[in-house]
Amino acid sequence: MSLLDRPLAEQAAALAAGEADGLELLDETLARIEERNEAVNAVVATFPEHSREMLDAAPEGPMRGVPVVIKDEWPLPWRAERFGAAELFTATAPGESGPYRALRDAGAVIVGVANMHEWGSSSTGNASVYGPAHNPWNLERCPGGSSSGPAAAVGSRMVGGAVGADGIGSIRYPAAYCGLTGLKPTFGRSAMQGHHMRGTTMIVSGPLCADAAGCRLLGSALYGEQLPRGEASGLRIGIVRGPIAEDCAPLVASACEDAIEALRDETGGTVQEVEIPGLELSGLAAVLIGTSEGLGDISPSKLNSMSKEIGPINRALVKYRMLMPGSVLARAEVIRTMMRRSLATAFADVDVIAWPSVPAVAPPLEEPLVELPSGTVTVDAVNPRGGGLANLIGIPAVSVPVGFDGGLPIGLQLQGAWGSDALLLDAAEAIERATERRFVDALSPVAGGAGAPT
Amino acid sequence: MPASGDFEPFVPAGLASLGIEFDEVDLAVMQATHELYWPAVAGLLELDFSAVEPELAADFSRAPEPN
Repeated sequence: MSLLDRPLAEQAAALAAGEADGLELLDETLARIEERNEAVNAVVATFPEHSREMLDAAPEGPMRGVPVVIKDEWPLPWRAERFGAAELFTATAPGESGPYRALRDAGAVIVGVANMHEWGSSSTGNASVYGPAHNPWNLERCPGGSSSGPAAAVGSRMVGGAVGADGIGSIRYPAAYCGLTGLKPTFGRSAMQGHHMRGTTMIVSGPLCADAAGCRLLGSALYGEQLPRGEASGLRIGIVRGPIAEDCAPLVASACEDAIEALRDETGGTVQEVEIPGLELSGLAAVLIGTSEGLGDISPSKLNSMSKEIGPINRALVKYRMLMPGSVLARAEVIRTMMRRSLATAFADVDVIAWPSVPAVAPPLEEPLVELPSGTVTVDAVNPRGGGLANLIGIPAVSVPVGFDGGLPIGLQLQGAWGSDALLLDAAEAIERATERRFVDALSPVAGGAGAPT
Repeated sequence: MPASGDFEPFVPAGLASLGIEFDEVDLAVMQATHELYWPAVAGLLELDFSAVEPELAADFSRAPEPN
Protein backbone atom coordinates (compact mmCIF):
# COMPACT_ATOMS: atom_id res chain seq x y z
CA MET A 1 0.00 0.00 0.00
CA SER A 2 1.27 3.45 -0.88
CA LEU A 3 1.91 5.88 1.96
CA LEU A 4 -0.57 8.17 0.20
CA ASP A 5 -3.30 5.66 1.02
CA ARG A 6 -2.51 5.94 4.73
CA PRO A 7 -4.08 8.61 6.95
CA LEU A 8 -2.36 11.98 7.33
CA ALA A 9 -0.89 11.32 10.78
CA GLU A 10 0.69 8.08 9.57
CA GLN A 11 2.22 9.93 6.64
CA ALA A 12 3.70 12.48 9.03
CA ALA A 13 5.00 9.75 11.36
CA ALA A 14 6.64 7.84 8.52
CA LEU A 15 8.39 10.98 7.29
CA ALA A 16 9.52 11.92 10.80
CA ALA A 17 10.90 8.43 11.38
CA GLY A 18 12.86 8.52 8.14
CA GLU A 19 10.80 5.64 6.77
CA ALA A 20 9.69 7.75 3.82
CA ASP A 21 11.33 10.43 1.72
CA GLY A 22 9.62 13.79 1.37
CA LEU A 23 10.64 14.35 -2.24
CA GLU A 24 9.49 10.89 -3.28
CA LEU A 25 6.17 11.45 -1.51
CA LEU A 26 5.75 14.83 -3.19
CA ASP A 27 6.43 13.39 -6.62
CA GLU A 28 4.06 10.50 -5.95
CA THR A 29 1.38 12.97 -4.82
CA LEU A 30 1.72 15.06 -7.96
CA ALA A 31 1.56 11.93 -10.11
CA ARG A 32 -1.53 10.77 -8.27
CA ILE A 33 -3.23 14.13 -8.77
CA GLU A 34 -2.43 13.83 -12.46
CA GLU A 35 -3.90 10.33 -12.49
CA ARG A 36 -7.07 10.81 -10.43
CA ASN A 37 -8.05 14.45 -10.70
CA GLU A 38 -9.67 14.20 -14.11
CA ALA A 39 -12.45 12.12 -12.56
CA VAL A 40 -13.22 14.36 -9.59
CA ASN A 41 -11.94 17.85 -10.55
CA ALA A 42 -10.84 18.43 -6.97
CA VAL A 43 -7.53 20.21 -7.58
CA VAL A 44 -7.61 23.30 -9.78
CA ALA A 45 -3.94 24.27 -9.66
CA THR A 46 -0.63 22.62 -8.92
CA PHE A 47 2.76 24.35 -8.79
CA PRO A 48 5.52 21.75 -8.46
CA GLU A 49 8.34 24.28 -8.23
CA HIS A 50 6.75 26.11 -5.32
CA SER A 51 5.91 22.80 -3.62
CA ARG A 52 9.50 21.66 -3.93
CA GLU A 53 10.67 25.00 -2.54
CA MET A 54 8.36 24.54 0.45
CA LEU A 55 9.75 21.05 0.97
CA ASP A 56 13.35 22.24 0.73
CA ALA A 57 12.69 24.99 3.27
CA ALA A 58 10.41 22.97 5.56
CA PRO A 59 11.27 23.41 9.25
CA GLU A 60 11.34 20.54 11.76
CA GLY A 61 7.62 20.88 12.34
CA PRO A 62 5.01 18.21 13.08
CA MET A 63 3.99 18.06 9.40
CA ARG A 64 7.43 18.25 7.83
CA GLY A 65 7.16 17.10 4.24
CA VAL A 66 3.46 16.16 4.41
CA PRO A 67 1.57 17.08 1.21
CA VAL A 68 -1.73 18.94 1.60
CA VAL A 69 -4.08 21.00 -0.55
CA ILE A 70 -5.79 24.25 0.38
CA LYS A 71 -9.18 25.53 -0.69
CA ASP A 72 -9.29 28.34 -3.27
CA GLU A 73 -10.28 30.72 -0.50
CA TRP A 74 -6.93 32.21 0.58
CA PRO A 75 -4.02 33.73 -1.29
CA LEU A 76 -0.67 31.99 -1.57
CA PRO A 77 2.56 33.91 -2.17
CA TRP A 78 2.46 32.83 -5.80
CA ARG A 79 -1.30 32.81 -6.47
CA ALA A 80 -4.36 34.94 -5.67
CA GLU A 81 -7.48 33.15 -4.56
CA ARG A 82 -10.49 33.05 -6.89
CA PHE A 83 -13.15 31.76 -4.48
CA GLY A 84 -14.33 29.37 -7.19
CA ALA A 85 -15.58 32.31 -9.22
CA ALA A 86 -14.80 34.37 -12.29
CA GLU A 87 -15.00 37.51 -10.18
CA LEU A 88 -14.95 38.73 -6.60
CA PHE A 89 -16.23 42.11 -5.47
CA THR A 90 -13.00 42.83 -3.61
CA ALA A 91 -9.49 42.94 -5.02
CA THR A 92 -7.31 39.88 -4.54
CA ALA A 93 -3.59 39.41 -4.91
CA PRO A 94 -0.96 36.80 -4.12
CA GLY A 95 0.25 36.94 -0.54
CA GLU A 96 1.06 35.10 2.68
CA SER A 97 -2.32 34.21 4.17
CA GLY A 98 -2.70 32.91 7.70
CA PRO A 99 -3.36 29.32 6.63
CA TYR A 100 -0.34 29.42 4.30
CA ARG A 101 1.91 30.57 7.13
CA ALA A 102 0.46 27.99 9.51
CA LEU A 103 1.11 25.18 7.03
CA ARG A 104 4.59 26.45 6.17
CA ASP A 105 5.56 26.81 9.82
CA ALA A 106 4.37 23.25 10.54
CA GLY A 107 6.55 21.98 7.71
CA ALA A 108 3.66 20.98 5.43
CA VAL A 109 3.97 21.14 1.66
CA ILE A 110 1.11 22.72 -0.29
CA VAL A 111 0.76 20.70 -3.47
CA GLY A 112 -2.35 22.25 -4.91
CA VAL A 113 -5.32 24.56 -4.67
CA ALA A 114 -8.65 22.81 -4.24
CA ASN A 115 -11.92 23.56 -6.00
CA MET A 116 -14.87 25.11 -4.19
CA HIS A 117 -18.46 26.11 -4.86
CA GLU A 118 -18.66 29.50 -6.54
CA TRP A 119 -18.47 32.23 -3.84
CA GLY A 120 -18.85 29.50 -1.22
CA SER A 121 -22.57 29.82 -1.61
CA SER A 122 -23.89 26.26 -1.55
CA SER A 123 -23.67 22.95 0.28
CA THR A 124 -23.51 21.08 -3.06
CA GLY A 125 -20.25 21.97 -4.82
CA ASN A 126 -22.01 21.68 -8.17
CA ALA A 127 -21.05 25.12 -9.53
CA SER A 128 -17.60 26.61 -9.90
CA VAL A 129 -15.63 28.61 -12.44
CA TYR A 130 -13.47 25.50 -12.73
CA GLY A 131 -16.47 23.21 -13.25
CA PRO A 132 -18.03 21.14 -10.48
CA ALA A 133 -16.05 18.78 -8.31
CA HIS A 134 -17.36 15.20 -8.16
CA ASN A 135 -17.95 12.86 -5.27
CA PRO A 136 -15.30 10.11 -5.27
CA TRP A 137 -17.89 7.60 -4.03
CA ASN A 138 -20.14 8.29 -7.02
CA LEU A 139 -19.06 10.69 -9.72
CA GLU A 140 -22.65 11.68 -10.50
CA ARG A 141 -23.17 12.91 -6.94
CA CYS A 142 -22.30 16.18 -5.22
CA PRO A 143 -19.10 16.22 -3.19
CA GLY A 144 -20.66 18.82 -0.89
CA GLY A 145 -19.83 22.47 -0.51
CA SER A 146 -18.51 24.78 -0.31
CA SER A 147 -15.24 22.90 0.43
CA SER A 148 -15.92 20.55 -2.48
CA GLY A 149 -12.36 20.22 -3.73
CA PRO A 150 -10.72 19.60 -0.35
CA ALA A 151 -13.19 16.78 0.34
CA ALA A 152 -12.94 15.24 -3.12
CA ALA A 153 -9.13 15.40 -2.98
CA VAL A 154 -8.90 13.58 0.36
CA GLY A 155 -11.73 11.22 -0.55
CA SER A 156 -9.74 10.25 -3.66
CA ARG A 157 -6.58 9.88 -1.52
CA MET A 158 -4.65 12.36 -3.63
CA VAL A 159 -3.60 13.85 -0.29
CA GLY A 160 -4.12 12.88 3.32
CA GLY A 161 -5.37 16.28 4.42
CA ALA A 162 -6.87 19.48 3.11
CA VAL A 163 -7.61 22.93 4.47
CA GLY A 164 -11.21 23.96 4.00
CA ALA A 165 -13.37 26.79 5.26
CA ASP A 166 -16.68 26.61 7.09
CA GLY A 167 -19.12 29.54 7.08
CA ILE A 168 -22.44 27.67 7.21
CA GLY A 169 -21.35 24.04 7.42
CA SER A 170 -18.94 24.22 4.47
CA ILE A 171 -16.44 21.76 5.96
CA ARG A 172 -18.94 19.43 7.58
CA TYR A 173 -21.30 18.93 4.61
CA PRO A 174 -18.54 17.78 2.22
CA ALA A 175 -16.90 15.72 4.97
CA ALA A 176 -20.20 13.90 5.45
CA TYR A 177 -20.85 13.46 1.72
CA CYS A 178 -17.34 12.15 1.02
CA GLY A 179 -16.89 9.92 4.09
CA LEU A 180 -14.31 12.10 5.86
CA THR A 181 -13.71 13.65 9.24
CA GLY A 182 -14.07 17.44 9.08
CA LEU A 183 -13.52 19.87 11.94
CA LYS A 184 -15.11 23.30 12.19
CA PRO A 185 -13.04 25.05 14.88
CA THR A 186 -14.29 27.37 17.57
CA PHE A 187 -14.61 30.81 15.97
CA GLY A 188 -11.34 32.72 15.92
CA ARG A 189 -9.04 29.85 16.90
CA SER A 190 -7.76 28.83 13.46
CA ALA A 191 -5.72 30.91 11.03
CA MET A 192 -7.87 33.18 8.86
CA GLN A 193 -5.65 36.14 7.95
CA GLY A 194 -5.87 37.10 4.32
CA HIS A 195 -9.44 35.92 3.85
CA HIS A 196 -11.18 38.40 1.60
CA MET A 197 -14.22 38.58 3.89
CA ARG A 198 -12.26 40.39 6.55
CA GLY A 199 -15.06 41.12 8.95
CA THR A 200 -16.68 37.70 9.02
CA THR A 201 -18.17 36.50 12.27
CA MET A 202 -19.05 33.10 10.80
CA ILE A 203 -16.21 31.66 8.69
CA VAL A 204 -13.28 29.63 10.03
CA SER A 205 -10.55 27.58 8.42
CA GLY A 206 -10.39 23.92 9.34
CA PRO A 207 -9.11 20.49 8.37
CA LEU A 208 -10.67 17.69 6.31
CA CYS A 209 -8.92 14.33 6.70
CA ALA A 210 -9.76 10.66 6.67
CA ASP A 211 -9.76 10.44 10.45
CA ALA A 212 -9.68 12.39 13.67
CA ALA A 213 -5.93 11.97 14.16
CA GLY A 214 -5.38 13.73 10.86
CA CYS A 215 -7.69 16.54 11.88
CA ARG A 216 -5.83 16.85 15.17
CA LEU A 217 -2.49 17.16 13.35
CA LEU A 218 -3.63 19.55 10.62
CA GLY A 219 -5.93 21.38 13.02
CA SER A 220 -3.06 21.94 15.45
CA ALA A 221 -1.08 23.51 12.61
CA LEU A 222 -3.97 25.84 11.76
CA TYR A 223 -4.55 26.71 15.43
CA GLY A 224 -0.86 27.30 16.08
CA GLU A 225 -1.13 25.18 19.20
CA GLN A 226 -1.36 21.49 19.96
CA LEU A 227 -4.84 20.04 20.31
CA PRO A 228 -4.22 17.58 23.17
CA ARG A 229 -5.44 14.00 23.05
CA GLY A 230 -7.79 12.77 25.76
CA GLU A 231 -10.12 9.87 26.36
CA ALA A 232 -13.59 11.45 26.40
CA SER A 233 -14.32 9.21 29.39
CA GLY A 234 -17.82 9.42 30.75
CA LEU A 235 -18.92 11.55 27.81
CA ARG A 236 -22.29 13.20 28.35
CA ILE A 237 -23.99 13.10 24.96
CA GLY A 238 -26.97 15.31 24.23
CA ILE A 239 -29.55 14.54 21.58
CA VAL A 240 -32.51 16.58 20.37
CA ARG A 241 -35.97 15.81 19.08
CA GLY A 242 -37.48 17.50 16.07
CA PRO A 243 -36.69 17.89 12.37
CA ILE A 244 -32.89 18.16 12.76
CA ALA A 245 -32.70 14.64 14.15
CA GLU A 246 -35.87 13.12 12.76
CA ASP A 247 -36.61 14.58 9.31
CA CYS A 248 -33.81 12.51 7.80
CA ALA A 249 -33.47 9.60 5.39
CA PRO A 250 -34.21 6.49 7.47
CA LEU A 251 -30.76 4.92 7.07
CA VAL A 252 -29.08 8.21 7.98
CA ALA A 253 -31.16 8.49 11.15
CA SER A 254 -30.51 4.89 12.18
CA ALA A 255 -26.77 5.01 11.44
CA CYS A 256 -26.44 8.14 13.56
CA GLU A 257 -28.46 6.61 16.39
CA ASP A 258 -26.23 3.53 16.27
CA ALA A 259 -23.09 5.67 16.34
CA ILE A 260 -24.37 7.66 19.31
CA GLU A 261 -24.99 4.43 21.21
CA ALA A 262 -21.55 3.17 20.23
CA LEU A 263 -19.98 6.42 21.42
CA ARG A 264 -21.80 6.14 24.72
CA ASP A 265 -20.65 2.57 25.23
CA GLU A 266 -17.06 3.27 24.16
CA THR A 267 -16.69 6.19 26.56
CA GLY A 268 -18.78 4.80 29.39
CA GLY A 269 -20.92 7.85 28.95
CA THR A 270 -24.57 8.79 28.95
CA VAL A 271 -27.15 9.94 26.44
CA GLN A 272 -29.79 12.45 27.39
CA GLU A 273 -32.28 14.58 25.54
CA VAL A 274 -31.66 18.30 25.67
CA GLU A 275 -34.07 21.16 25.07
CA ILE A 276 -32.69 24.01 22.98
CA PRO A 277 -35.23 26.81 22.80
CA GLY A 278 -35.23 28.48 19.39
CA LEU A 279 -33.18 25.74 17.70
CA GLU A 280 -35.55 25.63 14.72
CA LEU A 281 -34.64 29.26 13.96
CA SER A 282 -30.87 28.80 13.98
CA GLY A 283 -30.48 27.69 10.36
CA LEU A 284 -32.44 30.63 9.00
CA ALA A 285 -30.53 33.08 11.19
CA ALA A 286 -27.22 31.60 10.08
CA VAL A 287 -28.16 31.91 6.41
CA LEU A 288 -29.40 35.49 6.84
CA ILE A 289 -26.24 36.62 8.63
CA GLY A 290 -23.83 34.51 6.59
CA THR A 291 -25.16 35.74 3.26
CA SER A 292 -25.25 39.38 4.30
CA GLU A 293 -21.72 39.73 5.71
CA GLY A 294 -20.18 40.36 2.31
CA LEU A 295 -22.77 42.86 1.12
CA GLY A 296 -20.78 45.81 2.41
CA ASP A 297 -18.38 45.37 -0.48
CA ILE A 298 -21.13 45.38 -3.10
CA SER A 299 -22.75 48.31 -4.89
CA PRO A 300 -25.36 48.52 -7.63
CA SER A 301 -22.70 49.59 -10.10
CA LYS A 302 -20.57 46.56 -9.23
CA LEU A 303 -23.60 44.32 -9.69
CA ASN A 304 -24.41 45.90 -13.03
CA SER A 305 -20.90 45.24 -14.31
CA MET A 306 -20.66 41.75 -12.82
CA SER A 307 -18.90 39.17 -14.97
CA LYS A 308 -21.22 37.22 -17.24
CA GLU A 309 -19.31 34.12 -16.15
CA ILE A 310 -20.86 34.23 -12.68
CA GLY A 311 -23.47 31.49 -12.50
CA PRO A 312 -27.15 32.45 -12.88
CA ILE A 313 -28.09 31.49 -9.32
CA ASN A 314 -25.41 33.60 -7.68
CA ARG A 315 -26.03 36.48 -10.10
CA ALA A 316 -29.65 36.59 -9.06
CA LEU A 317 -29.29 35.90 -5.35
CA VAL A 318 -26.69 38.57 -4.70
CA LYS A 319 -29.14 41.09 -6.17
CA TYR A 320 -32.04 39.69 -4.17
CA ARG A 321 -30.06 39.99 -0.93
CA MET A 322 -29.65 43.72 -1.51
CA LEU A 323 -33.38 44.01 -0.76
CA MET A 324 -33.38 42.14 2.56
CA PRO A 325 -34.88 44.45 5.20
CA GLY A 326 -32.65 45.53 8.05
CA SER A 327 -35.35 44.48 10.50
CA VAL A 328 -34.92 40.88 9.36
CA LEU A 329 -31.16 40.95 9.86
CA ALA A 330 -31.60 42.58 13.26
CA ARG A 331 -33.88 39.73 14.27
CA ALA A 332 -31.37 37.19 13.04
CA GLU A 333 -28.86 38.75 15.42
CA VAL A 334 -31.37 38.45 18.27
CA ILE A 335 -31.76 34.76 17.46
CA ARG A 336 -27.98 34.50 17.59
CA THR A 337 -27.94 35.95 21.10
CA MET A 338 -30.78 33.67 22.15
CA MET A 339 -29.03 30.59 20.76
CA ARG A 340 -25.72 31.45 22.40
CA ARG A 341 -27.47 31.55 25.74
CA SER A 342 -29.50 28.41 25.02
CA LEU A 343 -26.38 26.43 24.14
CA ALA A 344 -24.36 27.78 27.05
CA THR A 345 -27.12 26.43 29.29
CA ALA A 346 -27.26 23.10 27.45
CA PHE A 347 -23.49 22.60 27.71
CA ALA A 348 -23.75 22.76 31.48
CA ASP A 349 -25.50 19.39 31.28
CA VAL A 350 -23.83 17.70 28.30
CA ASP A 351 -20.36 17.64 26.74
CA VAL A 352 -21.44 17.16 23.14
CA ILE A 353 -24.67 17.45 21.18
CA ALA A 354 -25.08 14.96 18.36
CA TRP A 355 -27.27 14.91 15.26
CA PRO A 356 -26.82 13.98 11.58
CA SER A 357 -24.36 16.24 9.73
CA VAL A 358 -26.78 16.28 6.78
CA PRO A 359 -30.24 14.71 6.59
CA ALA A 360 -29.47 12.54 3.55
CA VAL A 361 -26.46 11.30 1.60
CA ALA A 362 -24.96 13.18 -1.33
CA PRO A 363 -27.59 14.25 -3.89
CA PRO A 364 -27.17 14.16 -7.68
CA LEU A 365 -24.98 16.89 -9.14
CA GLU A 366 -27.51 17.72 -11.82
CA GLU A 367 -30.45 18.09 -9.46
CA PRO A 368 -29.43 18.33 -5.80
CA LEU A 369 -32.67 17.19 -4.24
CA VAL A 370 -33.14 14.76 -1.35
CA GLU A 371 -36.16 12.77 -0.24
CA LEU A 372 -36.99 13.27 3.41
CA PRO A 373 -40.03 12.27 5.47
CA SER A 374 -41.26 15.87 5.03
CA GLY A 375 -40.96 15.71 1.25
CA THR A 376 -38.51 16.20 -1.58
CA VAL A 377 -36.41 19.30 -1.04
CA THR A 378 -33.31 21.03 -2.33
CA VAL A 379 -30.38 20.30 -0.03
CA ASP A 380 -29.51 23.97 0.43
CA ALA A 381 -32.90 24.46 2.04
CA VAL A 382 -32.37 21.75 4.68
CA ASN A 383 -28.63 21.38 5.30
CA PRO A 384 -28.26 24.68 7.20
CA ARG A 385 -30.91 23.66 9.69
CA GLY A 386 -28.36 21.34 11.35
CA GLY A 387 -25.17 22.92 10.05
CA GLY A 388 -25.74 26.61 10.70
CA LEU A 389 -25.85 26.63 14.48
CA ALA A 390 -22.11 26.17 15.07
CA ASN A 391 -21.27 29.11 12.81
CA LEU A 392 -24.03 31.25 14.20
CA ILE A 393 -22.82 31.02 17.80
CA GLY A 394 -19.12 30.20 17.39
CA ILE A 395 -18.94 26.67 18.82
CA PRO A 396 -16.76 23.88 17.36
CA ALA A 397 -18.24 20.92 15.51
CA VAL A 398 -16.98 17.81 13.78
CA SER A 399 -18.50 15.51 11.19
CA VAL A 400 -17.56 11.85 11.61
CA PRO A 401 -18.25 9.05 9.09
CA VAL A 402 -20.62 6.51 10.63
CA GLY A 403 -22.15 4.45 7.82
CA PHE A 404 -23.36 4.19 4.25
CA ASP A 405 -26.66 4.47 2.43
CA GLY A 406 -26.78 3.24 -1.13
CA GLY A 407 -22.99 3.22 -1.33
CA LEU A 408 -22.70 6.82 -0.16
CA PRO A 409 -21.24 7.93 3.20
CA ILE A 410 -23.25 9.09 6.22
CA GLY A 411 -21.91 11.66 8.69
CA LEU A 412 -22.69 12.28 12.35
CA GLN A 413 -22.11 15.78 13.69
CA LEU A 414 -20.84 16.38 17.22
CA GLN A 415 -20.92 19.92 18.60
CA GLY A 416 -19.27 21.06 21.80
CA ALA A 417 -18.92 24.12 23.96
CA TRP A 418 -16.62 26.98 22.94
CA GLY A 419 -13.01 25.75 23.14
CA SER A 420 -13.86 22.05 23.33
CA ASP A 421 -12.32 21.35 19.91
CA ALA A 422 -9.92 18.70 21.26
CA LEU A 423 -12.72 16.92 23.10
CA LEU A 424 -14.68 16.62 19.85
CA LEU A 425 -11.70 14.89 18.24
CA ASP A 426 -11.43 12.59 21.29
CA ALA A 427 -15.08 11.70 20.77
CA ALA A 428 -14.53 11.15 17.05
CA GLU A 429 -11.66 8.80 17.86
CA ALA A 430 -13.91 6.94 20.29
CA ILE A 431 -16.39 6.38 17.44
CA GLU A 432 -13.53 5.14 15.26
CA ARG A 433 -12.55 2.63 17.95
CA ALA A 434 -16.13 1.53 18.47
CA THR A 435 -16.61 0.95 14.75
CA GLU A 436 -13.16 -0.62 14.32
CA ARG A 437 -12.27 2.18 11.84
CA ARG A 438 -14.30 0.52 9.09
CA PHE A 439 -15.84 3.82 7.98
CA VAL A 440 -12.75 6.08 8.20
CA ASP A 441 -10.53 3.52 6.49
CA ALA A 442 -13.02 2.73 3.69
CA LEU A 443 -11.65 3.69 0.29
CA SER A 444 -13.87 5.25 -2.36
CA PRO A 445 -13.94 3.75 -5.86
CA VAL A 446 -11.77 6.61 -7.17
CA ALA A 447 -9.26 5.78 -4.42
CA GLY A 448 -9.21 2.15 -5.49
CA GLY A 449 -11.76 0.85 -3.02
CA ALA A 450 -14.37 -1.74 -3.78
CA GLY A 451 -17.28 0.33 -2.49
CA ALA A 452 -19.06 0.76 0.80
CA PRO A 453 -18.06 -1.67 3.56
CA THR A 454 -20.77 -3.87 5.00
CA MET B 1 -40.65 43.31 0.94
CA PRO B 2 -44.22 42.94 2.14
CA ALA B 3 -45.11 40.36 4.76
CA SER B 4 -47.64 38.92 2.34
CA GLY B 5 -44.72 37.51 0.39
CA ASP B 6 -45.84 39.10 -2.87
CA PHE B 7 -42.93 38.94 -5.27
CA GLU B 8 -44.50 41.31 -7.74
CA PRO B 9 -44.21 44.22 -7.80
CA PHE B 10 -41.91 44.72 -4.83
CA VAL B 11 -38.78 42.87 -5.95
CA PRO B 12 -38.58 44.30 -9.49
CA ALA B 13 -39.48 47.76 -8.18
CA GLY B 14 -36.98 47.49 -5.34
CA LEU B 15 -34.16 46.49 -7.65
CA ALA B 16 -35.08 49.30 -10.03
CA SER B 17 -35.13 51.82 -7.19
CA LEU B 18 -31.55 50.83 -6.29
CA GLY B 19 -30.49 51.03 -9.91
CA ILE B 20 -29.77 47.31 -10.07
CA GLU B 21 -30.24 45.81 -13.50
CA PHE B 22 -31.96 42.45 -13.86
CA ASP B 23 -33.29 40.09 -16.49
CA GLU B 24 -35.87 37.33 -16.74
CA VAL B 25 -33.43 34.68 -15.51
CA ASP B 26 -32.63 36.79 -12.44
CA LEU B 27 -36.33 37.19 -11.71
CA ALA B 28 -37.04 33.48 -12.11
CA VAL B 29 -34.26 32.53 -9.67
CA MET B 30 -35.30 35.24 -7.21
CA GLN B 31 -38.94 34.24 -7.34
CA ALA B 32 -38.16 30.58 -6.66
CA THR B 33 -35.95 31.61 -3.73
CA HIS B 34 -38.51 34.05 -2.47
CA GLU B 35 -41.24 31.43 -2.45
CA LEU B 36 -38.95 29.03 -0.57
CA TYR B 37 -37.59 31.37 2.08
CA TRP B 38 -39.94 34.29 2.43
CA PRO B 39 -42.62 32.55 4.52
CA ALA B 40 -39.99 31.78 7.17
CA VAL B 41 -38.59 35.31 6.97
CA ALA B 42 -42.05 36.80 7.30
CA GLY B 43 -42.68 34.53 10.27
CA LEU B 44 -39.51 35.83 11.86
CA LEU B 45 -40.87 39.35 11.67
CA GLU B 46 -43.89 38.31 13.71
CA LEU B 47 -41.96 36.80 16.63
CA ASP B 48 -41.70 38.64 19.93
CA PHE B 49 -38.09 38.81 21.08
CA SER B 50 -38.62 41.51 23.69
CA ALA B 51 -37.54 39.17 26.51
CA VAL B 52 -34.14 38.50 24.95
CA GLU B 53 -31.48 40.56 26.68
CA PRO B 54 -28.85 41.86 24.24
CA GLU B 55 -25.32 40.48 24.45
CA LEU B 56 -23.05 43.49 24.52
CA ALA B 57 -19.67 43.19 22.80
CA ALA B 58 -20.26 39.55 21.96
CA ASP B 59 -17.10 37.46 21.54
CA PHE B 60 -17.99 34.50 19.35
CA SER B 61 -14.88 32.61 20.42
CA ARG B 62 -16.26 32.31 23.95
CA ALA B 63 -19.45 31.43 25.76
CA PRO B 64 -21.69 34.42 26.44
CA GLU B 65 -21.35 36.21 29.74
CA PRO B 66 -24.18 35.42 32.17
CA ASN B 67 -27.03 37.93 32.09
